[in-house]
Amino acid sequence: MKYGQFRPIMQTEATLAQADVSELDLVKRCQAGDTEAFDELVTRYRTRIFSMIYNMVHNEQDAWDLAQDSFVKAWKSIKRFRGRSSFYTWVYRIVMNVTIDWLRKKQVKGVGAEFDDAIQAKQIDPASRTAPKADALPYETMQRTEIRARIDSAIAQLSPEHRAVILMKEIEEMQYHEIAEMLGCSIGTVMSRLFYARKKLQNLLRDVYENV
Amino acid sequence: MKTFEEKWTAWLDGQLTGKELLEFEASLPDKAAAELEKRDAKKLGALLKRELGMHAMANEEFFSHQLRERIARENVEPGRERLAEVSTWWTIRRLFWTGTASLAIFLVFAVFVMREKNPAEQSQYLSQILNARVDPVVSPNATISMFEAKEDRVTVLWTEGLQSLPADYAAK
Repeated sequence: MKYGQFRPIMQTEATLAQADVSELDLVKRCQAGDTEAFDELVTRYRTRIFSMIYNMVHNEQDAWDLAQDSFVKAWKSIKRFRGRSSFYTWVYRIVMNVTIDWLRKKQVKGVGAEFDDAIQAKQIDPASRTAPKADALPYETMQRTEIRARIDSAIAQLSPEHRAVILMKEIEEMQYHEIAEMLGCSIGTVMSRLFYARKKLQNLLRDVYENV
Repeated sequence: MKTFEEKWTAWLDGQLTGKELLEFEASLPDKAAAELEKRDAKKLGALLKRELGMHAMANEEFFSHQLRERIARENVEPGRERLAEVSTWWTIRRLFWTGTASLAIFLVFAVFVMREKNPAEQSQYLSQILNARVDPVVSPNATISMFEAKEDRVTVLWTEGLQSLPADYAAK
């Protein structure tokens, strides 16, 4: 039996019915140079893409810039899209490459205060969307902000590749073979990375998930 | 699946079945501890899913607007790049022709001007030798050649056929 082949390729933000017909049509129009069609595709997936990048980099401005870079890259190479996967799967691969490259460069530059910066930014940002709703109790608000900060801190300690794998598996609920395809590595590598990422996060977040 | 890590991950995610599942569970030294860790992993997954769900993007429309503008700019830029490429090419070609022309001028100068200069020097040298004759009465077949290096302040007299060395060196 092969692992990770229980369900078809990942669901997109749009429904499959929409994707089947109009997404392909939109892609064809994009390939003919229609920027409005590309705008439509961006509108469909921008929030999901942004959210995934944000979970990787923990900074809204960086996530915004990386999402922009990814979509521009997608536009530039749209003619090479052959339709073997959904547009979202294709663009998601670009997003992951752009984000992992950026994280690697950031690590090389030795920016070690990533997490502290992110936490401070969140603490002083009253408009943060990560904060609970305004009607939440102050204690709950504080608690959830703290939990989010702990999670971000733990994820920030993972390598870019491990971050990508754990988020793709746990948040996007992707299968091993989908992750492997997107990251350009073997299924075994994905499973191995998942093993170490989980171990590390379990050590760092045990008290959080035990007490929540 | 070869490594323990791969089998463990597949077991955690419930993707081990049949013989593989039985073999893996039999290989675990402490199955109770492993089950506990499996529960931990599930809790971790649930925590991540709950807390890292969709992170809303502020100003979505502005995001698209900014992207549209950037793409419009990017569409123009390839054209600009081509112009720049052509411009560079012309510069290179111009440099090539300029270099070739310079080389040709140098060769012309070397062939005609420098060649003109050498005979002049040779002619001066020969005139010195021709002038350096001794008295034909005393030594009818004698010759004196003079080599002079002005920069080094050295003069060499080369004599042949002398019957006797003239008192005044007889060089004319």
